[in-house]
Amino acid sequence: MKRFMCMIVGVVFLLGLLTSMTFGAPREITFWLMPNAPDDVHTVWLDNKVAEFQKQTGITVHYEVIGWGDAWTRLVTAITGGEGADVVQVGTTWNPQLAAMKGLVKLDPAEFGGIDAFMPANYESTTYKGESYGVPWFAETRCLFYNKDHFAEAKVQPPSTYDELVAVGNALVKARGQGTAIAIAGNQAWDLLHNWAILLWAWGGDLVSPDLKKATFNSPEGIEAMDWYVDLVRDGLASKSCAEYNQPDADAAFINGNVSMAFMGPWNIANIEHDNPALNYGVVEPPKGPKARAAFSGGSNLAVLTGSRAQDDAKAWIKFLLKKDSLVSYSSELTHMLPGTVEAFDDSAFSTEMYKPFKVALEYATAYPPLGVWGTIENDITVAFKAIFTDYVTGKLGAGGVKKHLDDAAQRVDAALKTEK
Amino acid sequence: MKIASGWSRRRQTIAYWMILPAIAAMLLVHYIPMLWGFYISMHDVNLFTMVDWINAPFVGFRNFIDGFNPATTTGARALKALQNITIYSVVAISAGYVIGLAVALLLNQEFVGRTFMRGLILLPYITPDCVAFNVWKFIFQSRIGILNRYLVQWNLVPEPPIWLVGPPALWAVTIASIWKGWPFAALILLAALQKIPPELYEAARVDGATAWQQFTMITIPQLRTVSVMLLLMSILWNFNAFNQFFIMLGRDPGIAAEVPSTLILREAFTSLKYGIGSALSIVIMLILLVITAVYLYALRGTAGVEEM
Repeated sequence: MKRFMCMIVGVVFLLGLLTSMTFGAPREITFWLMPNAPDDVHTVWLDNKVAEFQKQTGITVHYEVIGWGDAWTRLVTAITGGEGADVVQVGTTWNPQLAAMKGLVKLDPAEFGGIDAFMPANYESTTYKGESYGVPWFAETRCLFYNKDHFAEAKVQPPSTYDELVAVGNALVKARGQGTAIAIAGNQAWDLLHNWAILLWAWGGDLVSPDLKKATFNSPEGIEAMDWYVDLVRDGLASKSCAEYNQPDADAAFINGNVSMAFMGPWNIANIEHDNPALNYGVVEPPKGPKARAAFSGGSNLAVLTGSRAQDDAKAWIKFLLKKDSLVSYSSELTHMLPGTVEAFDDSAFSTEMYKPFKVALEYATAYPPLGVWGTIENDITVAFKAIFTDYVTGKLGAGGVKKHLDDAAQRVDAALKTEK
Repeated sequence: MKIASGWSRRRQTIAYWMILPAIAAMLLVHYIPMLWGFYISMHDVNLFTMVDWINAPFVGFRNFIDGFNPATTTGARALKALQNITIYSVVAISAGYVIGLAVALLLNQEFVGRTFMRGLILLPYITPDCVAFNVWKFIFQSRIGILNRYLVQWNLVPEPPIWLVGPPALWAVTIASIWKGWPFAALILLAALQKIPPELYEAARVDGATAWQQFTMITIPQLRTVSVMLLLMSILWNFNAFNQFFIMLGRDPGIAAEVPSTLILREAFTSLKYGIGSALSIVIMLILLVITAVYLYALRGTAGVEEM
């Protein structure tokens, strides 16, 4: 009897222990994000939001800020290993790739306010094979910044078409000197494709066919659009040095007041306020091309890793971050990006003269096709783009040079598209 | 006799236990990942198969063939990368050795402030790569770089050259690497110079040897062992060069300045062709193994090499 009682006590104790381990375990999730704002303000904002969320839900969020350079490897390692984080920030072009790796949880947009709650191109970037694997967090697009003082000196107005941009550029060169009209990104820009894609679309071309089976960027429209970009240097509107620029180099040339125009993102408004507040500048939408006015839609989404053991808590954190007040303060005060939801976008913070062109451009902006093999494709096109610039700088870009490089890239992209499952 | 061999065996056992942690670390950090790398190079590990990469389709040597087929963009780039890294290594190692030896000979003389100067020459070597190569990137920048500023100011060029795009990029990185690397050669050679017995020079002087004869017949042969080691290490380091190319030229340095490490990075982590990336890595490793073996075999008579 005594032994039986001891067994009962033992079993009850063990059950109690297991129960306490299961139900008493604190609810915790891990959140990986990128350095979207300067550390001092970013950390304060995140700490406040984490505390607010914990108070509301009892869920503790451990966040880790990871540099863009390391983020891809960390995400891939987490997906392969099955653990690491619950909620992750992913670049819009990464979203389909990570979904193709079966690394992201399929999300029902209805749970987050429905498809119409988001900017269309940004919602599209969360999809892969028609299903959604993320939620837009913040968006970016690029517009034309111009120096009002330089424009007054050359007696010109901001261009509304690409032909006008060239005419305005020539007037600026006449007034201020060779290579000072515009700064453009060159061979060291990892995001070089964004600069050409908006031209390609404006000229009526596209990167791949509608069925996503074939490369189409080597079309006559693509060649013309590429020639237009190289002509900026060839005709002396942009400095030959641009061939070795990355995007921040081009941005700095405008912000320092050395050049009169540059295509830049909304985060540069904060950079100008910080680095050169005296700069007298304006922002206009990307000019209209021969066929259309086009803009690039980028930014970041929030996603849940398949290895997450707290997927409901992870979704709760995403919903919390998408609340209007969170999104407006994060976008307008910290990241200087544009919010991913329509509700936050309508806030007065984004109705200022500087933000207005971005807001309008984002409404017709295009996202890159949601392909698993997008990384390979972007790499192949960028390699061709850089080869064209290199050939131009070294004097080897003959009459058919642009076409040859784009055809080579198209062959590689066709091969990559065949591997898309 | 019996006691002695027992002690010897025990000493051997202790020695094995002592090196066990190092062997375990080497296995975990080097050899097992290398074996995985070899496994991946024989399989089609890509975006779609990487989550379950252990079960990725076996493709034999296809990744090796694709990775070095000159008809493909990757293959053409891989062959050009091997050519570039060979040119870069030969120039950077030779120049680094010559400059290092010259400085070591100077610092081996008696003069006031010698210790300070010895510390000072190490400055480039101890500067972190990211700082040093970013500074060199600024120096070579076409529009604002200090090099072009003087070239234009002194009317040596009609217009500022573009150093960091196309073929000049390889030379820009080579110059930066020589600047960064020679102090190490100087330090090692200086240590070796100080170990040469002064009596050898005294005897040579008594016999009427000139300074040049002393240099070629005493200094150079006495530096042989250290030089062999130094050059071998330099070959291995330079063939795997990555930081200088990545910092100064970015992820894609362009075909004219492509090196194996940047190509492997892009194939594996941008294009997510892990199989091809691993195949390229394995080939580079085999090339280095062959170079090391041939080098050591050719210099097998040199004292010190036998001990390695």
